[in-house]
Amino acid sequence: MPPVVEAIDLHRTYRTTTGTFRRRSLEVEAVRGVSFAIEEGELFGLLGPNGAGKTTTIKMLITLLIPTAGQALVLGHDVVDDAHWVRERIGYVFGGDRGLYERLSALDNLRYFAELYGVEPRRQRARIGELLELVGLESREKERVEGYSRGMRQRLHIARGLLHDPPVLFLDEPTIGVDPVGARELRQTIFGLKAAGKTVLLTTHYMFEADALCDRIAVVTRGKIVAEGTPRDLKARVSDGVVVEIEVYGIENGKVESLRAIDGVTSVAVEDRDQAQVVVVQAEAGREPTHDVLARLDGVSLGRVTTREPTLEDAYVALVTEEPVAVDG
Amino acid sequence: MTSVRIFFVGGLISFRALFSFLRPEVYIPSMLVAPLFQILLFVYIGRSAGLESDEFFVIGNAVQYAAVPCLFAMTFTIGGERFQHTLGYILSSPAPRLPLFLGRALPVVVNGFFVAAFSLAVGGLIVGIHVPASSVAPLALATAICAFSCTGLGLTGAGIGLLLREQAVLANIMFGVLLIFTGANVPVDALPGWMQPISNALPFTHGIDAARQVADGASLSDVSGLLATEVALGLVYGAVGYVFIRNTERLSLRYATLDRA
Repeated sequence: MPPVVEAIDLHRTYRTTTGTFRRRSLEVEAVRGVSFAIEEGELFGLLGPNGAGKTTTIKMLITLLIPTAGQALVLGHDVVDDAHWVRERIGYVFGGDRGLYERLSALDNLRYFAELYGVEPRRQRARIGELLELVGLESREKERVEGYSRGMRQRLHIARGLLHDPPVLFLDEPTIGVDPVGARELRQTIFGLKAAGKTVLLTTHYMFEADALCDRIAVVTRGKIVAEGTPRDLKARVSDGVVVEIEVYGIENGKVESLRAIDGVTSVAVEDRDQAQVVVVQAEAGREPTHDVLARLDGVSLGRVTTREPTLEDAYVALVTEEPVAVDG
Repeated sequence: MTSVRIFFVGGLISFRALFSFLRPEVYIPSMLVAPLFQILLFVYIGRSAGLESDEFFVIGNAVQYAAVPCLFAMTFTIGGERFQHTLGYILSSPAPRLPLFLGRALPVVVNGFFVAAFSLAVGGLIVGIHVPASSVAPLALATAICAFSCTGLGLTGAGIGLLLREQAVLANIMFGVLLIFTGANVPVDALPGWMQPISNALPFTHGIDAARQVADGASLSDVSGLLATEVALGLVYGAVGYVFIRNTERLSLRYATLDRA
């Protein structure tokens, strides 16, 4: 059976201009040769930092952008040549609290999109009722959306994406900015969609979310897929390494770069925590980089130093902060 | 069936969703009170300067004020999609575009007609003009046609505003142009020569002329040419607006033009 969603060497370049009087044209390559295939009933994750090209990839797949090069197929149909056919069979949900008619109730928002998707008038009421129940908004459906919390809006987005019962769903960071309890409920809803047989493409920043939900994950950074496989495959990449965390109070870029040069170090990341920063250094298995790291941080005001085993999050950080390497799961 | 429902039901829902003037605290002052100020201002200027009759100014300004609901509502109900971040959802739906966008115009025409008719009735009462009962229906028809043609211009503005993002600025400029050029306050033949061809190509010019004539007792057949021209202008502007919107959509697929809200 052919894949339900297929991206074949997708490219997308944006052209933008700067300056008022002396205008300069710039080209930004948002997506640089992304390829993947999603099978029927699969929940596939596109994981990557801001600006990695996840949303641009989704926009090409849902017919909102024409690829600069490459091809995208949904249910075997080209998203450019058969855009209308594809639109009838996909649902999508963008993250964030925008994208709804604020002055309308949830009910009216859903009624409107039910019209746009050609849901039969006699089916509309029942379908909207089912979806409001599915996303837990059945008691608030007559309230204006402007009074909704972010989590409620996000659940309404999901209900809207399901109105016409599409076999394929694109979820673009659906839990972004939602509180932990709301995000957990959303993840349960997404898992329910997979259980119902939907094919889902999910983008997210959160490794644990991708781990909990996805059958397979592709890590995207700088417009390219740098790793693809099951969550277990990705975990295996770092399971035998070591991580050193050093609390510092002010560190120059030069010092950070010098840490990358230590033999056996695979990635270095700096995270801000309150007044301090934490330098996270990952190293290959069998290495003990602590001594070398501390030596190169000579002159930097240091706090606590800890050594631990790597987590899945570390695998993700390593993938998105280092130069791309082709890894298949 | 889907197209018909999108035109009527979808059009009404999106009008409610995006035309922010519909709240009573905004609608009453800006749609029902403000046109009376405009009418009174020009009536009193006319009286003090010994210019045209009260009826001339009441009809001219009441009909011309339909520009506010027609221009602003049309630009808001289409361009507003971009600012609510709903445009992506609309454009990637399989909904046929003609009813999707033109359906939004119907409530705009109805509202524009209501505002103009209210202004005409109340402004006429305040100033004390008399319109024969036999002229009321033709006058209403002329007013409705003016609301239709101005909505066509609003659709053009919506198309441009969708691309340029400065919808309210554009609507304000168009309102000013209509106030000066359409004979609402200065007879077209008294305008400088270079302005008259522009006047004849704008909504309202022929409709206001027709409305004044029927208020003075002319029959509908007497003004049918003027009204037909007014309808034709509305259709032309509407078609230009629709083509503009579709081209903007196509442009956005290629250049992501509409992504930059």
